[in-house]
Amino acid sequence: MTADPAQAVIRRGIVLTVLALIGVAVVMVMALKFTPVEANQGLAQKIFYIHVPTATVALWIAVPATGLASMLYLWLHDPRLDRFAAASAEVAAVFCLVVLTTGPIWGKPIWGTWWTWDGRLTLTLFLFFLLLGYHTLRGSVRDPLERGRFSAVLGIMGMALVPFIHLSVYLWRGLHPKPVVLKPSAPSLPWEMLRTLLTGFGVFILLYVGFVTLRYGLQLAQDRKEEADAA
Amino acid sequence: MGRAIRLVLVLAAKDLRVEFRTRTSLLSAAVFAALVLIVFNFARDPTAVATIDLAPSVLWVTVAFASVVAMNRAFTTERENAAFDGLLLAPVSREVLYLGKYLASLVFVLLVEAITLPLFVLFFNVSLGHALPGLVATMLLATAGFVAVGTVFSAMVVKTRFAELMLPVLLLPFMVPPLIYAVRTSAPLFQGRPLSEVLAGLRFLALYDVAFITLSVLLFSAVVDE
Amino acid sequence: MPPDNGPYLIAAYIVAGVIYLGYAVKLISEARRR
Repeated sequence: MTADPAQAVIRRGIVLTVLALIGVAVVMVMALKFTPVEANQGLAQKIFYIHVPTATVALWIAVPATGLASMLYLWLHDPRLDRFAAASAEVAAVFCLVVLTTGPIWGKPIWGTWWTWDGRLTLTLFLFFLLLGYHTLRGSVRDPLERGRFSAVLGIMGMALVPFIHLSVYLWRGLHPKPVVLKPSAPSLPWEMLRTLLTGFGVFILLYVGFVTLRYGLQLAQDRKEEADAA
Repeated sequence: MGRAIRLVLVLAAKDLRVEFRTRTSLLSAAVFAALVLIVFNFARDPTAVATIDLAPSVLWVTVAFASVVAMNRAFTTERENAAFDGLLLAPVSREVLYLGKYLASLVFVLLVEAITLPLFVLFFNVSLGHALPGLVATMLLATAGFVAVGTVFSAMVVKTRFAELMLPVLLLPFMVPPLIYAVRTSAPLFQGRPLSEVLAGLRFLALYDVAFITLSVLLFSAVVDE
Repeated sequence: MPPDNGPYLIAAYIVAGVIYLGYAVKLISEARRR
């Protein structure tokens, strides 16, 4: 019985994901017990330690990776790129969902409203819908080659759309409440808070890698099965 | 180059001729636009918000919905008659093929908008006057952008099972930036501000058009070719 | 005195945890099925 490469990838994905999930629990405990409470916002500010790393990974790693892989697929036609793009897109959607749920839960006590059309949240909402569209498109195209091509086209169009969303949304602030967010780059962030935040970044990057590996492995197993059935 | 332009026009004319032979889709889109306007009229409280403040949003939402309805038909003729393969076999470059389709869809959607605007003026009792040139420019620029993307997506979804549903799902995120700027550009115009004040918005729309028409021309062959 | 909004914190952590765990369970159970 020859070793199934898909199973190896899946196993690796499960290990990484479980480790990362433990890491998420660690970050939550760190935030609850070992991080000071912010004076102006109170306890709810600690949502920041989950919300911000998730958003950063989603917007700066997952989505660009999907777009890049899509573009390269169109050029190189390597099915591994398409598989990776699909996995990354799905994980990006999950991360965006976390951003879009934790964001309003944080916003309600701080800004007094569940939703504001502020730049970042709105951009994440857009990306979420683009990713849903990507997923829907993939689901409705049978032929794997066509599916790969179509996904790549949508991926490239989506990437091109992002700067325009930035322009339309960020320039249209109007009367929105100013979010009182601590910027990670601000030197005024105390060490106890910074270390929790940095741990969060590490953990969520690992979670992304774990999820994508696992999802990739599942897709690989599926593709191999379909190929074997067709033969 | 001249030959390519002529081919584009021929292709677009062919599409439009097929469209207008039956006239049903233009009629459906126009009726749809009218219905949306009527719903908006009954859904608002004229004592609470002044018509003039609501006007841009009403106009552009109606235009957006009617455009999607109109764009759904872009490739349906080919699908229903399995004529698409024949079209692909013709010795025509993919870029020309795309531009022909794009032009036909654009003309069609602009016609729907041309019907919507007077209906809007009628139902909402807005006086356009000096705003008209700016409004027309906004309509042209905004429409050119999302029809470009819509034409590519139409080609993609035409073979899927829920094509009429897939197109709006994929296209709506791409319609939002042009819509935002269309509203931001029309609002001052409705208030009577001069065209010179909204040039930034028009520039944005033009930028969007350049970016997405270029991308669409380049990506179309990836959609239709093996 | 910082505002008392602890419940929101707990709610957010639970929601995030449920989404991540749920997705992991979905993937892992699919892996088990193969």
